[in-house]
Amino acid sequence: MEDEKNRTGPLMIALQYNDLFDLDSISASTNTEDALPKGRAVAFVKAVQTVNERLVEQNKSESLLFEVILIAKECSEEIKMKIVESVKYYGLEIGKFFFFKKEELINTLQSNKVKLFLSTDRDDVCEALHTGIPAALLYEQSDDHVLSQLKVIFSGDVIGFSEDSLDSLSDFGFSETQIETLKAAKICMKEFAVLIGQMKRRFGQENSPLCICVLTAWGSTNVCVSALKTLREWGLDVDEAFCLAGAPCSPILAVIKPHIIWDGGLHNMRDLSAHS
Amino acid sequence: MSEIKSKEAAAADKKEAATEETDWAAAKAHFENLKSTKPRPPKPINAVTIAVSSRTLFDMVAERKIFEEEGVEKYVQHQQDHESEPLKPGPAFPFVKALMTVNERLRKLYPDSEELFDIVLMTNNHAQVGVRLMNSINHYDMAIERFCMTGGQSPIGYLKAYLTNLYLSKDSKKVQEAIEEGIAAAIMFKPDVETQLSETQLRVAFDGDAVLFSDESEIIVKQHGLDTFFEHEKQHENKPLAQGPLKCFLEALGKLQKKFYAKNERLNCPIRTFLVTARSAASSGARVLKTLRSWGLEIDEALFLAGAPKGPLLLKIRPHIFFDDQMFHIEGAKEMGTIAAHVPYGIGQKYNKGKLIEAEKQQK
Repeated sequence: MEDEKNRTGPLMIALQYNDLFDLDSISASTNTEDALPKGRAVAFVKAVQTVNERLVEQNKSESLLFEVILIAKECSEEIKMKIVESVKYYGLEIGKFFFFKKEELINTLQSNKVKLFLSTDRDDVCEALHTGIPAALLYEQSDDHVLSQLKVIFSGDVIGFSEDSLDSLSDFGFSETQIETLKAAKICMKEFAVLIGQMKRRFGQENSPLCICVLTAWGSTNVCVSALKTLREWGLDVDEAFCLAGAPCSPILAVIKPHIIWDGGLHNMRDLSAHS
Repeated sequence: MSEIKSKEAAAADKKEAATEETDWAAAKAHFENLKSTKPRPPKPINAVTIAVSSRTLFDMVAERKIFEEEGVEKYVQHQQDHESEPLKPGPAFPFVKALMTVNERLRKLYPDSEELFDIVLMTNNHAQVGVRLMNSINHYDMAIERFCMTGGQSPIGYLKAYLTNLYLSKDSKKVQEAIEEGIAAAIMFKPDVETQLSETQLRVAFDGDAVLFSDESEIIVKQHGLDTFFEHEKQHENKPLAQGPLKCFLEALGKLQKKFYAKNERLNCPIRTFLVTARSAASSGARVLKTLRSWGLEIDEALFLAGAPKGPLLLKIRPHIFFDDQMFHIEGAKEMGTIAAHVPYGIGQKYNKGKLIEAEKQQK
């Protein structure tokens, strides 16, 4: 496919430094010589590195690889040095570092053609999606989780709901802006899905370093089937699928142990229970 | 009325609880908007959750052959190519249909209650196969809205996450794992002959020892013989037996039955339970009944066979499912057309027709 040639090139993922390192656990008594304590994103970076290794194994001149960049909001020179050192210390392959003022977050992401902005902060994810930047939630991984696979969850609700269903969410208490964010998220998801799909096709079905899951929290099975078929159209084969129809998500997520959750900010809409 | 599931299963902190409420409300709203004839699934914490595998719900024998002989990629491709062709019913199909009939009756009597059967499709299959499974479910108009396709991973973690009360599968390894984790589980077998089953009443038959009760008495029979067994049972008549793997499922059924009794529907109750045991009423039966009584459980019919074969009696009962721990009884039931489910628990696994299976054979 000619399109593939135009789309290859590194898949840039942006992480925030406070997800990569656990800055909250630094106290006055911490030895300043030591590297910064590991944060929730370290497992993710290692998993991404594994995928890259496998991709290069298949094809030495592979250009469709992951590239992780680190963004940090306003910090001292000392901390900057610490960050760069700690990254080296943990053997993390970070492509670029960006240090900037808080208001410049969105600009920085846009100007660097970031294909995905990952954060453990739901509000940051929502804000980014709102301005059209593809953003997803970084799931909290425990340190000892198996790192041989990168697991991505796509929300079956966002992909599987038809335009009408998404619009009818307004009856349920979603605001216009929220619905627009969801629709924008779907488009972002598509871009990412197409790229990941290409990556996944470099491997067979068994022993793949990329595991794709669809989780439908609210919709019926038809919504989930619609999501599966849509992802198939976009060129992405799904491995695991879950349809919860209102059952609690957290216990299931705890078993799946994903790295990335693409839910378009759906779960950030906390005030809904007040409307029902 | 006491809970069907422990309160510990409820959300750990307030924030999580709020998110869960939102999920529940959103799903409820979505279903109501659908305006379809299908009923919406119950809230899991209040429901009796039954997890069935794809091979028990549907007949996938031919597809399984392709998987085993040609590998996973060909198998998934085959399923995708035949996506719009519905699969044929499997051994658990009548049981699941009966569960839905009970749900209909419960919804009529208690329109606001979430204490219903909740059916989850729990399969090892890849998500691509899911499309065919969903199409088949829709074809038969079944109300299964929850599923879990683990793409090759073990389903045990998910069984717990879904608060499963009963797990039915064709894979003995998974069933054993589930039982070890404290989840009632059984391996389903398709009968050799088809029988007409009730469409208005769910009928469930249980073996006693090593199914509802522990295998403590069974151990005595196998190791010391029947006479010692009779003596022991008479002596300990008033001491309740320990619980077996399916006791909690019987309890869950009992709770739903009581809901019908409360509305004066005892004679017309759509759930009927049976105990089919090789014990004899006179010598060892009392202990069983007293144990059930001490647990506060009722069983509708208790049939003591005193060693007679179970097959012919089961044919008269026509249960939608019959649980037994011994393959010997499962084979007998199967031959005569009863849908049997093997519970791989206790000392009975080491014996075949009363004789100890050699160590090498056991490892097969």
